[in-house]
Amino acid sequence: MQKDLETKFLTDFEKNQNIAHKICRIYTTNTNAHKDLFQEITIQLWKNYSKFRGDSKFSTWMYRVALNTAISLYRKSTRTVKTQDFSDFAYKIKATDYDDTEEKQLEALYKAIHQLNDIEKALIFLYLEDKPYKEIADTLGISSVNARVKMTRAKEKLKNILNP
Amino acid sequence: MDLLDKYKKAWNNQPKETDTFSALEIYKLAHSKSSSVVKWIFIIALLEFVLWSSLNLLMPEDFYKIYRDLNLMHFINIFTIFHYLIIVAFLFLFYKNYKRISLIDNTKRLIKSILGIRKTVKYYVIYNLAMVFLISIIVNITMFSDSDKLLKTMNPNNLTMDISQVLTITIITQIIVLIVVLVFLWLFYKLLYGILLRKLNTNYKELTKLDNLN
Repeated sequence: MQKDLETKFLTDFEKNQNIAHKICRIYTTNTNAHKDLFQEITIQLWKNYSKFRGDSKFSTWMYRVALNTAISLYRKSTRTVKTQDFSDFAYKIKATDYDDTEEKQLEALYKAIHQLNDIEKALIFLYLEDKPYKEIADTLGISSVNARVKMTRAKEKLKNILNP
Repeated sequence: MDLLDKYKKAWNNQPKETDTFSALEIYKLAHSKSSSVVKWIFIIALLEFVLWSSLNLLMPEDFYKIYRDLNLMHFINIFTIFHYLIIVAFLFLFYKNYKRISLIDNTKRLIKSILGIRKTVKYYVIYNLAMVFLISIIVNITMFSDSDKLLKTMNPNNLTMDISQVLTITIITQIIVLIVVLVFLWLFYKLLYGILLRKLNTNYKELTKLDNLN
């Protein structure tokens, strides 16, 4: 039983790991921190997996656990962006071939997101991932109304950073 | 909202992470908490350092009177500096361990570095206990080598006692105090680092199992 559960967890997580990687990208600015956060998310997911009853999709549950891990881990960390750290990641994006302006937009977007606080990061991330308000509220454990209010503010802040 | 929509499109088109993990690697990640254990070893050693050094600074002047009476003040000062240098070196090692272990993704290297860390912690505890032992031996030797000084330090109120009485009382109390202090310190380290090392040990066993499967 334990072994079956584990195999299922591993395959599900392997398929959905890009969610965790994206979260790591918005909460960390260098490869080492990215790996550390990814490991912490993995540990938390596995620890909580027995409580996951399958009444929601694995990915939905994963958004919740992974984001809350990132939020609690980075609650106290600084919000400034180190440019040399960022270039580390920017290089990784450039390595793939796609539209140049979109590439620049993405770089700017990440830079801007890194300046937001931990909750705003989560809100913007869920917005970018096209999550409905109901799911955003559930993921962050707040009411839908509260999620809407906070989202509006976070978007305003992001827009101001992107286009001062 | 049009400004953010533009960025949203860029977000949706961003490349997938190329540096992905296989199911086996995810298994390892989920089961090996070594890096956080090592982080705690570093943090606790740091706290311990702060605790001892602040105790040292907060000690009343009277505490050093006995050393001054024994003409050991110079020695104690030099020893303190030496001791802190060693402790800082250990802290540096703990920090390096922590940095290194969070980077490792290869089972064999992780096993090796866990062994290394266990050794460092063991040496750290042995060093601390040995220092307590050594310093009390030195103080005692200086004290017993000079009976005038001995009388002065152990019997400052000039109670009527002969030297053999003072000697016996001193030796017995010194031995008891030394044993109590060493046992207390040993328990302290055993409890503090023992728990962390046990966790590290469990990880080590799991990793060896995993390594044997491959």
